[in-house]
Amino acid sequence: MDFEGIHGRLGAISAPGLSGADRPREADPEDKKDGGRAGDAFVQVEPGEIAAFLAACRDDAELAFDLLVDLTATDPDAQDERFWIGYQLLSTTHRHRLAIKVFVAKEGARVPTATAVYRAAQWHERECAEMFGITFVGHPDPRNILLPDDWAGHPLRKDYEFPTEYHGISCE
Amino acid sequence: MMIESQGKTTEPQAAGVVLSEKARTLPSGEREFMMDVRTADLEVNMGPQHPATHGVMRILIRTDGELITGAQPHLGYLHRCAEKIGENVEWLQYLPYTDRYDYLAAMNNNLGYSMAVEAMLGEEIPRRAQMLRTICAELNRIGSHLIAFGTYGLDLGAITPFLYAFREREWMMALFEKICGARLTYSYLRIGGVFNDTPPGWLGEVEHFCDVFEEKHKEYVDLLMMNHIFVKRTADIGVIPAEMALDFGLTGPMIRGSGIDFDLRRDTPYMLYGELADAGAFDVILGSGAKGALGDCWDRFYVRVMEMIESVKIIRWCLGSIEPGPVIAPLPKVLKVPAGEAYVGIENPRGELGHFVVSDGGKVARRVRVRGPSFCNLAVLEAIMPGTLLADAVAIVGSTDVVIGETDR
Repeated sequence: MDFEGIHGRLGAISAPGLSGADRPREADPEDKKDGGRAGDAFVQVEPGEIAAFLAACRDDAELAFDLLVDLTATDPDAQDERFWIGYQLLSTTHRHRLAIKVFVAKEGARVPTATAVYRAAQWHERECAEMFGITFVGHPDPRNILLPDDWAGHPLRKDYEFPTEYHGISCE
Repeated sequence: MMIESQGKTTEPQAAGVVLSEKARTLPSGEREFMMDVRTADLEVNMGPQHPATHGVMRILIRTDGELITGAQPHLGYLHRCAEKIGENVEWLQYLPYTDRYDYLAAMNNNLGYSMAVEAMLGEEIPRRAQMLRTICAELNRIGSHLIAFGTYGLDLGAITPFLYAFREREWMMALFEKICGARLTYSYLRIGGVFNDTPPGWLGEVEHFCDVFEEKHKEYVDLLMMNHIFVKRTADIGVIPAEMALDFGLTGPMIRGSGIDFDLRRDTPYMLYGELADAGAFDVILGSGAKGALGDCWDRFYVRVMEMIESVKIIRWCLGSIEPGPVIAPLPKVLKVPAGEAYVGIENPRGELGHFVVSDGGKVARRVRVRGPSFCNLAVLEAIMPGTLLADAVAIVGSTDVVIGETDR
């Protein structure tokens, strides 16, 4: 199925938390500041419902998204008040993909874990949590994965300040 | 595994040797002591500097005697902030960093990143460039699988196949050296095409490599893959059922070894692969449980070994239909990518290499996310290692064929 087909199907099964879709578009010739948007289309989901939404995507026979390929967050801008959390799903039977995006406030960012739906989420969420400071509620093993346990700050945030030393090792 | 003394074990199990209270007096008048060995679970660190972890990775293994009761991979020893660097350098400048995550398949990494940026540029890639990209990506896949083949034998105590595999890999690297000057970190596939055209006679040399390689490949099959000792060490070990493979998000040879018929090159066609699949130029190799249970270490190894021949077939198809022409699309030196975001996943030797790039329309990316296949493939160790014997730990870790540069990025 293509993106429109998947989006239609998600509406038909009233997937929990589905709140919209965003598609690439051409630049508006009237508006000189508008450059359009390139790349992929994605569906937008409410943060609280994401685990139920993923379960619906996995269990529906026509969608059958059996692989969680990727889970990551993006800090679009230091001034922006929201993170984007992106999920990439893939179906090995129907051979289609879906990009999902969740907007979550930076202040005390919390989102339910997807570990119960896809175990693949476990390590991705650990990485996402340490890099952005997002709490995945209900995660079974919320330790750091790539960074040392005592690392201060969340490096992929745009407001991250590079440390000048770590355990007496100069980083300058 | 407590040593039973007269039907009852001694408590408590303190550190070191404990003298049993049940010492009895022998007829000679001497006191006989029962010595109890400490039998608590033992935690063993495999790595971070262990030759069989294929890089700087540590697996904390909990053992009960010879039995593994828990395994916990610890990553991060090779973390080089690749994603943060991506937000601080220009689009083209990031390309050499992609070489460094899966350093055994740098051509494929270049391809993944270039395609993600091209997905937003909407630029037409010249056909000759696509041909050269396919040839290089598949040659690199052969080289990467040769390492998987050789080092897996080395892990299990077979030294000779490793040397054979490196002989062919050396040739492959010499071919790459001729085309781009580098032996490991190529940066040859650029955004928009490839860096330069082939030197004279290069395509003929690739064909010669294919001819020789097909003959040598038969040796590999006989020497290691069908070797009785090797089969005994790998069959029925580290079985990953299909449901588990999907749950953990495994891709590439890991998922095909479990019998799931899925290859991104055929099923979500990109570049020339759709055309190749329609022409029947290559097959997707699947594990079948030929030597033991479906999804065991041998099946994964089988998929990698046989995929090399499929790569040769793809290269031959390209060599047969490549024509002169431009090799790179005309793009400005300082690239500005239209605002937007794109995720592109390609079939790397180890599975799906995904790049998620976000642009705000400027010269520098807002976000470059790398989904390394090794990272996801490694997570399954936690699930398959408990219950196996310590001697099989190396066989299981080797069968995942991880590259630590990619798990840690």
